[in-house]
Amino acid sequence: MIEALIDPLLAQLSPVVWGGALAVVSLGLSAVAIRRDRPLDWRFALPVEHPADGPPLFETVFDHRPAEGQAHSPAIAVKDDGFTLVWFEGSAEAQADVDIHHARFSRDAGGGWHHDTPAPLITRRALSACFEPRQAVITLGNTIQNEIAPDAFYATVVSVGGWAMASVADVRIDPDRRVPVRAHKLNLSPLLNRSHLVKSPMVAYADGSHGLPAYFEMKHGYSELVRLDAEGRVRDVRRIPEGRNAIQPMIVPLDERHAIAFLRNFGTGSRRLLVSETADGGRHWSAVHDSDLPNPDAPVAALALGGDRILMALNDDAQRSDLLRLLLSQDRGRSWRRIATLEDGGGDADRAVRYPMLRRLRDGSIVLAYSQRGKHGIRAHVFNDAWVNAQ
Amino acid sequence: MTGVLTTLWLAVLLAWVLAGVGGLVLPPPQAVAAGLAAGAVAAVLFRDTIVLRGLVALLGSFRAVLPVLALRHLAGMAGIDILPFTTVELAAFLVAYVFFLAAATTALPANVYRLGYAPWPVAGMVLAVCAYGMAQGSLFIPLVAVAGQAFWVAGIGSSNWFDHVLHAALVPVTAVVLLERLLSL
Repeated sequence: MIEALIDPLLAQLSPVVWGGALAVVSLGLSAVAIRRDRPLDWRFALPVEHPADGPPLFETVFDHRPAEGQAHSPAIAVKDDGFTLVWFEGSAEAQADVDIHHARFSRDAGGGWHHDTPAPLITRRALSACFEPRQAVITLGNTIQNEIAPDAFYATVVSVGGWAMASVADVRIDPDRRVPVRAHKLNLSPLLNRSHLVKSPMVAYADGSHGLPAYFEMKHGYSELVRLDAEGRVRDVRRIPEGRNAIQPMIVPLDERHAIAFLRNFGTGSRRLLVSETADGGRHWSAVHDSDLPNPDAPVAALALGGDRILMALNDDAQRSDLLRLLLSQDRGRSWRRIATLEDGGGDADRAVRYPMLRRLRDGSIVLAYSQRGKHGIRAHVFNDAWVNAQ
Repeated sequence: MTGVLTTLWLAVLLAWVLAGVGGLVLPPPQAVAAGLAAGAVAAVLFRDTIVLRGLVALLGSFRAVLPVLALRHLAGMAGIDILPFTTVELAAFLVAYVFFLAAATTALPANVYRLGYAPWPVAGMVLAVCAYGMAQGSLFIPLVAVAGQAFWVAGIGSSNWFDHVLHAALVPVTAVVLLERLLSL
């Protein structure tokens, strides 16, 4: 009799009791997560001003042309004793035979730069085998240095489809064997974690952490700044307002709070380089708008030189990609002076020079790398501030 | 750990598919048993084949919602009473989730997904889901939410809580269930 009364009561109460128990468990989990969480520091690391003493130096240190196929989208990984260039190479972009190649650069006894023989660094097969969890890798694309850890990269990885289905993978390298040993994809989208790519170097913050400029390229592209925790897991993502098909953000911090993002004009509009600014360390970005600089639907490279100075490498024409110039701004990007023409193909599309990257080395030198001959080679120069000032 | 759980997840998903196929020729309880056994064997034996690596690449790494849904369906096949989702619940979920996915593109300016990285918003969302489950007398949705939070806090799988409790594959699945109910009216 009593059981007949209690059982229906328990049956009615049980979802409430179980739901309450789950809520208590959730509260405990939340307490752990909140206690462990380190609030993000939204102050950029201040760009260091390097002295321009000594003679002007400019040296072409790399002129790589693969025997066949393409070599494109070089990135510069800064090392204590020099730098490493990485790029993707294969029969053609987005094909199933593309791997990430590299060459290491260091100074010889005479102070000049030398490099070892270019060789594969991240192959599709090796990456597929070390992914956590293991998964297919069809092709590889833009790869940049992961500055959170030594011997680490962020690679654009395609497991299904084309670039619009790409993901960003955190890839760790064995420095002795020079092979990938661990990799996982960053979680950046609820759309099967697809359509995110990288191109430009990371942005340093005052607390030693870094932000990762990334972009979405499914239909109408947009850019964003990804903040990562100490373990390299995504902690926050801030969008640069969409609406202009502005991708491949090149973010240049100017002081603790201010930065400017130069964006490839991926749309069919003005053929001008797009820009957006932040005044709160990257939390919020202004609407994307045209700059006065031309842009033939191509990414640019830029580097803060300290003070209000910015150095930029860009295709300085609204249509031509065979023209590459260095520009210098002394007023935070409001006006620019053309200081050097590095490549001029005379309007020949087969001599296109694209995807520049600029990085400051530990010794204060500046490296500029880009692809040449219409994605069929990689060229790199090293120069110093004295050379920049002398132009 | 994520790799091991992904293999388990694959085993459950394969079991669900194989049980469905087996149900065409076997009684449901036997189909479930055969599906579970075959799924486990297939996930372990073929995990390094291009087919399963491709499946992981397509669907993503381990997350709570799909295996729990598959196990729930298998339990129903095996004869255990399962409280079905109401049509209103499914329709509301489908509309909300499509908007959520649209916000991840340029279709909507909001970025709801980024709330899934931060502990305070996640805490609030999980508690809201628990309250909803208590009000509706349903354990399944709170269970998925809290399991997803547990994996998220442990650093297993995605760093975004939404990835643990949602999956884009739920859009066609929910749409098909709603269509079936519409046609059976």
